[in-house]
Amino acid sequence: MSTDQSSTPRVPDVENPQPTMPLTEDIRPGTANDPPVETVEPDRTATLTVDGESVTVSAESTLLDATEETDTDDYVPALCSYDEHDEIGPRSECRTCMVETEEHGVVPSCSFPAQDGMTVRTDTTEASEARDVNLDLLLSNHNLRCTTCGKNGRCELQDVSIENDVVEPRYGVFDDRDAYEPLDDSSPFIQIDRNKCILCNRCVEACNDVQVEGVLRIEGSGEDTRIGFQNDAETMMDSTCVSCGHCATVCPTGALVEQGLTDAATIPLPGFTQENSIGKTVEAENDRFQPGPATPMKGDQKSESAAEPTAESPPTEDD
Amino acid sequence: MATPKGAIGNGPVVRVAIGGDHDAGPELLRAARDATEDVRVVAVGPTGADSLAPLVLATQNGTTAFVPQCTVANVTTIVETLENGSLPDTAATVEHDPGATSMPTPPAAIDTTAVLGVGSRRVLGGCGWRAPASVADYRVSRDDELLAERAIDDPDAVHERVADAALRGRGRGDGSTDAPISGVWTTATETDGKPVVVVNANEADDHARADRLLLESAPLAVLDAALATAHAVDATDVLVYTNDAEALARERAQEAADALAADRDPDIPIQVVAGPDAYTAGEMTMALEAMEGNDRLEARRRPPGPDQYGLYGRPTVIHTPRTFAQVGQALADNDLGGVPGDPGTRLFTVAGDVDAPATIELPTDATLADVRGAVALDGGLKTACVGGRFGGLTRDLDVPASAAGLRGARLGTNGVIELFDESTCTVALAGQRAKLAREENCGRCVPCREGSKQLVELLRDVYDGEYQDGMLRELARTMRETSTCEFGQEASRPVTTAMESFEPEFRAHADGRCPSGSCDHVSS
Ligand code: SF4
Ligand code: SF4
Ligand code: SF4
Ligand code: FES
Repeated sequence: MSTDQSSTPRVPDVENPQPTMPLTEDIRPGTANDPPVETVEPDRTATLTVDGESVTVSAESTLLDATEETDTDDYVPALCSYDEHDEIGPRSECRTCMVETEEHGVVPSCSFPAQDGMTVRTDTTEASEARDVNLDLLLSNHNLRCTTCGKNGRCELQDVSIENDVVEPRYGVFDDRDAYEPLDDSSPFIQIDRNKCILCNRCVEACNDVQVEGVLRIEGSGEDTRIGFQNDAETMMDSTCVSCGHCATVCPTGALVEQGLTDAATIPLPGFTQENSIGKTVEAENDRFQPGPATPMKGDQKSESAAEPTAESPPTEDD
Repeated sequence: MATPKGAIGNGPVVRVAIGGDHDAGPELLRAARDATEDVRVVAVGPTGADSLAPLVLATQNGTTAFVPQCTVANVTTIVETLENGSLPDTAATVEHDPGATSMPTPPAAIDTTAVLGVGSRRVLGGCGWRAPASVADYRVSRDDELLAERAIDDPDAVHERVADAALRGRGRGDGSTDAPISGVWTTATETDGKPVVVVNANEADDHARADRLLLESAPLAVLDAALATAHAVDATDVLVYTNDAEALARERAQEAADALAADRDPDIPIQVVAGPDAYTAGEMTMALEAMEGNDRLEARRRPPGPDQYGLYGRPTVIHTPRTFAQVGQALADNDLGGVPGDPGTRLFTVAGDVDAPATIELPTDATLADVRGAVALDGGLKTACVGGRFGGLTRDLDVPASAAGLRGARLGTNGVIELFDESTCTVALAGQRAKLAREENCGRCVPCREGSKQLVELLRDVYDGEYQDGMLRELARTMRETSTCEFGQEASRPVTTAMESFEPEFRAHADGRCPSGSCDHVSS
């Protein structure tokens, strides 16, 4: 499934001024080296007009920040945007946050830098059509079974769909049992249901940039793009996960859910659960003894790298 | 490293074109060299006209004989004839200035070599005529002065000249496709950090082969202009980025880089690197990702673009070889010609239902209809797809060859004109391109990744009897306006232009009928 392009060169003799922490050097998250958001000079502010109202925001702000300061004429979803942690996003992939600017046309507000003097409108036909179509496109690839979903009631996709008055997504929803990806139920800590993933990349950044664990990555391209593991494992149990849970915390959908919560918010319908909602489930190959939160793979990785076990490293079956 | 033997100068010379899609060249070269010790036999690059390959030229005293589709037996005879002081007897013989630095083109009337007379040959002038990596040949064509030498002395003049000329970027994967290039030069110069210059020649669409042609046949013209650009923006590195599969282009670019370094102080190193043979790898930010050694290619978020945040975050000026070739023309103080809004020439590769593809050059004030003389099309022309894989479909080639003209006609500007005859179904053609978008996209953004899926589904619905033109237009609009990169922005163009120009065919398919008779899955 992984589409590693092995012929990719690394330009040998070109200076790379970007700092790399020795710890993150080997992390291969499969995502682009995106530019930072701010382009305004530091310590400056930008004053712009949103739906006729003037707003002043700080230098590193985006148009979304500016719209949030005002009472916009239309609802701007901004589904994939995450503003609780600087290390995460803006990924700007869902394109549900489009607004119209006089200067640059229709742009994604979550990542577009707020420049002094800009004129922004949230209520033009072009912008609202773009937001609606993109939200429906997301839903077209989503296994919309909220009643059995562990995130029911605390799901950002659900929230924006309700808020945006989605009654019937124009392209339908993903509902083809043959094409479902099996549910990864192998880890005792986190369950993965890729049929609900919107590829917002938050989990990847939480895992790589915040926890510096280097477990998760984006792999594949086109319709095969999916969340995978950097050690090429097929299941969570075979990955190098330490079960810190950060990925599940930041996930806006029911794609990553803590095991204890997979059925927490479901509507009790006899015999119908998240686990059997798509038919196929991957369990751990053998119920390996797992005394700590780190997977056996993480343990192997530690002993292979020949570092003497530290006090806080959990015991594994090899020890 | 010694600079390769040149082809320009006095005395008889035999030119053997090596490159392009034919592999007989090296064999002919060996045979020619084995047959003589006295006559100069020089390997040159391809001309862009595939129907002529393998092409051999014999020149003596200001006359050149063209021998298309040359065989080993022919080449031996040619060499021997030249050794005896005369020229072979061929259909196309052209008289020219003995020191000519550009290929003298046979008049359009002369049989098969007529393709060389279509349009103009300005940036293509050295192709098939000068030894690709010979600095001596190249210097002669520039009155002995390299553009890079002049740029060292007066870098600002380079920028001014390019700005005054209002040169626009050409092709996909350029940092300023269809826009004036001096803007990105200014931004790169004004941004903190040491700039980099990238020559982006990675193009997996086999029909869009003009960049490959330039690197295989006239790499010095590209590299010299790239070096001059590097001086103008005060860059420390020049990188040439090609497809992994394009070994000859890379080899010639490397030879040319080495020859340039040997000729002058290599104060700015030129490195030649290969990226994946994937269509996405040519997109400008995915090109940078590939060069940085990322394990998976994905387009970068923008703004800011590469001019501010490029290779390893450094300000980066990225252009295609086609753009650099135009920069070279502007710096050589040539009158660029064409329309003032988009001066110079554009390279077009004519492909599709034709005998052999041909890359030709049209001034921007010419019309696309001129390309018809470059190829033989079986049957009548029904549809042209202009602009590459995600070009626009049209029946009418009476369109100006300028950026504004092409855009105005809702066609693409990636320098490809595919001609299709009456048997081609435009609904199926648009469907194939939509399917390609669905399969090849990088997977990053929703309008492109999910939009291309729904685009294919809506076209399937047409075959099932339902033509939802409003839905199709709305989806295409959203993909165009909201996708991150040009891939998604252009992916729906074949569909929308087909709907505009061939609407009755969509309705016919919804009624269960394929007017061109080529779709047999139409349900009734
Ligand atoms: S992730 Fe779960 S709760 Fe959220 S929309 Fe999908 S099915 Fe519903
Ligand atoms: S698993 Fe969740 S956090 Fe990760 S990409 Fe998918 S939706 Fe985003
Ligand atoms: S437009 Fe397509 S190819 Fe470009 S970033 Fe978006 S998903 Fe990737
Ligand atoms: S929130 Fe802006 S693109 Fe997703």
